[in-house]
Amino acid sequence: MEASSATGPREPSMAVHLSQEKPGVWQNLRALLDVPSVVLTIAIATALYYFIDWSQIRVLDFGIVLKYWRPLTIAAGTTLLITLGAFAVGLLLGVGLAILLELRIGPLRYVINAYIEIWRNTPLIVQLFWIHFGLPVVTGISTTALESGSLALTLQSSAYLADIARAGIQAVPRGQWDAASALALPARTKWFEVILPQALKIMIPPLGNLAVSFLNGSALLGVLSVGELMTVSAKISDYTSRPVEIMTVTALLYLAMNLLTTYLTGRLERFTGRRP
Amino acid sequence: MISFDVSEVIRSLPELWIGLEFTLILVFTSLGLGTLIGLLACLGRLLGNGLLPWFCAAYTTIFRGIPEVVLMFWIYYCGPLLGGVRPSSLIAALVAMSLYVGALLSEVFRGGILAVPKGQVEAARSLGVPEFWVWTSVILPQAFRVVIPALIGVAALTVKVSGIASTIGVTDLVYQANIIAGQSYRYFELFTAVGIFYFFILFPMSMLAKVYERKLAMRSR
Amino acid sequence: MMIHNQNGEAIISCENVSKRYGAFVALRNVSLDVARGEVVCIVGPSGGGKSTFLRTINGLESIDGGTICFDGITIPGPPRNVRLIRREVGMVFQAFNLFPHMTIRKNLILAPVRARGISYAEANEKAERLLRRVGIGDQIDKYPDQLSGGQQQRVAIARALAMEPKVMLFDEPTSALDPEMVKEVLEVVRELAASGMTMIIVTHEIGFAREISSRMVFMMDGSVVVDERPEEFFSGAPEPRLKSFLSKVL
Repeated sequence: MEASSATGPREPSMAVHLSQEKPGVWQNLRALLDVPSVVLTIAIATALYYFIDWSQIRVLDFGIVLKYWRPLTIAAGTTLLITLGAFAVGLLLGVGLAILLELRIGPLRYVINAYIEIWRNTPLIVQLFWIHFGLPVVTGISTTALESGSLALTLQSSAYLADIARAGIQAVPRGQWDAASALALPARTKWFEVILPQALKIMIPPLGNLAVSFLNGSALLGVLSVGELMTVSAKISDYTSRPVEIMTVTALLYLAMNLLTTYLTGRLERFTGRRP
Repeated sequence: MISFDVSEVIRSLPELWIGLEFTLILVFTSLGLGTLIGLLACLGRLLGNGLLPWFCAAYTTIFRGIPEVVLMFWIYYCGPLLGGVRPSSLIAALVAMSLYVGALLSEVFRGGILAVPKGQVEAARSLGVPEFWVWTSVILPQAFRVVIPALIGVAALTVKVSGIASTIGVTDLVYQANIIAGQSYRYFELFTAVGIFYFFILFPMSMLAKVYERKLAMRSR
Repeated sequence: MMIHNQNGEAIISCENVSKRYGAFVALRNVSLDVARGEVVCIVGPSGGGKSTFLRTINGLESIDGGTICFDGITIPGPPRNVRLIRREVGMVFQAFNLFPHMTIRKNLILAPVRARGISYAEANEKAERLLRRVGIGDQIDKYPDQLSGGQQQRVAIARALAMEPKVMLFDEPTSALDPEMVKEVLEVVRELAASGMTMIIVTHEIGFAREISSRMVFMMDGSVVVDERPEEFFSGAPEPRLKSFLSKVL
């Protein structure tokens, strides 16, 4: 799971402007820009005809997918569970770390920041191998693939989430802190009833992105044969020697899960944004 | 009990170096191709008519919604379908990464362009500035500035994703580390070393992106 | 050059309060005493330290020198002192600072229940009473963003009053309001002053200040320049800086 900060804007400030009034030379050129659409269609048609080896396509047996739909679906469920678990624990840890950071306890800040930076700036796959193969050598405790995978995902997610939580907490207007302090609210109330609810609302968009990253990252656990979707797909592909069909369906399943996550995040945003 | 033996790492430097070379090839090639693809996809989506924007949007959604691992596997296995030849691991990885990075970048570019304040574009147009210059003098320069932190982020992501290529057999840094560790059982030292190495590349990038973000935030005040 | 005026026993006593932000001196040797029932209005040019000083009284800003004494509790002192002071001192902010994710009712109930341990029922009843007093009884179950600026500020005043403070601090309560809403808020402040509440008000509404204050304070460059009763403040032998300020705003 590698989190990308590249998010599409929610309220495009230029929106449809781009396909409107374009005077002069550019307008003529724009007429030509219709050509790419045509070109594209031709290109796709040509590719479909010439480059694709239809003989192989004909041999594709997507029925194999139906035969294995149960293990695949269960594996997809496992993926969701693992992702959700890592996300939930990561969220708790991350918010906790962010709160600790905000409390400004000198040396602890450095430790927490170091933790966050280390886990955000190393590839997940390296973390996986390090935890699963490297740690046992040193600590003598060996972890199952599932434990290692979950641990790696959770630790990395907690680091990313701490970063997002930190930004979210700081985005809460200073005036809220002032008001809460001036009303002599105890720290517990200040945090749980005033600051965090507002911070969490702010955090929802980046959290959505992160959730997608986690889903994608969980696929990486397949290299350790953890038992989620990727593992199962690889095994079935191997077993049936029909990697194309299985992999295509796997890709579609991930795509579906990701689209679902994005959709739910959008709903959540709208739900918390509206006020009765 | 805990014997941290750095010497093994040092002894393996030649092999690790080979891995690094492959990693660099993966990163730079996919960034380069990805930029190209991303630009085309972004412009196609924003400026096109008819089928084109839909196609570009679909491309972006699909390739961001599939895990990198799955993508690499898929291209590796589906290669024979297009062209009749099974691609080498490296080619498959390169294609997969380029397409993935391209999808990411097209979103980044799109975000940058759309973030340019509408008022400025309207002002330029109402002043009679030809459309071409509206783009090159007003929109693109500002879009570019806004986009720098995200670009650095994508570059960092590419470095992280390059490690996944090892799963389909590309002999990159992670792959080599695995091989060496497998032989000597020095998993801890090797992966710590590799981890530290990646960290020293990714951490500065992350800091750089943060510095730029702060600069941008100050500018817009 | 400061003049302490005391009309009775001081409930707030500030002695040589100073505060720095790095090299910038925000407050220099500010001394001010406020007696029970007094309404002190602080005026002056922007950046003169008025708000900063107000915020040191309830500990929102720390001080680098001097002492602040509220009803026997002193700053600097043990951390609980600030907490104790905040329970007895209410503050109204320029930006209202209502909690956007809570209803008006919840905004008012939160502090009494959590900070004073009052029961929900009692706090609820008090909230309804206070909101009626400031004229917004029927909006109690709405959310802040459904109210106008003037309404929100009145809610903010009610929220501070819900803690039954001994002193109320106002930090430019009308500066963020559209002109047509300033009056309704000033009306509430006027009523509050008339009811005998001890108040310190930082404001730009000089005319209003003149009308309700028992003492006027002019602060500039972090110091108290003039501290007089309103009559002397506006017509007595004026300090040059005060004269210059008044000529610009009146």
